[in-house]
Amino acid sequence: MSAPQILIDENNTLFDKTGMFYKKFPSDFRQIRYYTLLIVEKAPAEMKQIYLLEQQISELIKNAVKHGNKSDPKKFVECWFRFEDDMAHLIIQDEGEGFKHLEKWNEFNLERTRCLQERDFDALEQYVSFMSPDSDQNDNGNALFAAVQFWNAGVVFNSKRNCVAVMKKYHHNKPWRHLEED
Amino acid sequence: MEIKLRRNAQIFIIDIEGDMDLYQAYKLKELVAKMIQKNIVYYVINLEKVDYIDSSGVGALLYVHSALKKQKMKLLIANVHGSVKDVINLTQLMDYFNITKDVNTAIQELKPLIT
Repeated sequence: MSAPQILIDENNTLFDKTGMFYKKFPSDFRQIRYYTLLIVEKAPAEMKQIYLLEQQISELIKNAVKHGNKSDPKKFVECWFRFEDDMAHLIIQDEGEGFKHLEKWNEFNLERTRCLQERDFDALEQYVSFMSPDSDQNDNGNALFAAVQFWNAGVVFNSKRNCVAVMKKYHHNKPWRHLEED
Repeated sequence: MEIKLRRNAQIFIIDIEGDMDLYQAYKLKELVAKMIQKNIVYYVINLEKVDYIDSSGVGALLYVHSALKKQKMKLLIANVHGSVKDVINLTQLMDYFNITKDVNTAIQELKPLIT
């Protein structure tokens, strides 16, 4: 059995910012979806299912604003982003302490994936919510479960764990095709 | 996000309209927590008019699903469609939730369970 993992790799190629757009936002929780729109507007107009891309980018910015910067308006979220016909690539950095529970999350996700693959929904009860002292009480920590599915070319943190690089690759011949075809 | 409540015999239908997002999804948790205190047993959450959901919205559904299960109360989620379905698919929880086609189907499924 395998499950997608979150990596820590400072030298990963996903941290290469060459040719990427850049924006910097204050940590205003009320503006997260607006910040997201400012990024997504750079995506190709013909992109289908752009709502999924928007939703997933919103989750990354929310993590940076809420968990990383603790919604401190003096702290900023920096975003680098690049969209092409067959891929979306983002780097999101906050000024926080970093994702301390990353290893525990990977172990948790492995067990969660096992329950899902074995369709053991009774056992899954223990793994539907990843709760650490820093977890989001509103989303039960489930944003990252979706993130590792969506960002299919990698979810990678830097050594300090306050900067995440993600990439989604789409099928070359049928860009922005429906998710269920993946 | 607006929530309206209606009733079919002992079954309570929660109609949600708008975005189930990080700003508003908590409203569903608050409502169901109050309904549990009133010992309401049978629930249908209708997502027909929800076109955007994020992890906070999925989190609210998870909270409600879990809270009702602990109390041995019954929940069906109806009209999971379009982008909402795609987002729940990403979390791989489509089979974990008790999802039914529409509100009428949900009512027909719940009625035989009413004692």
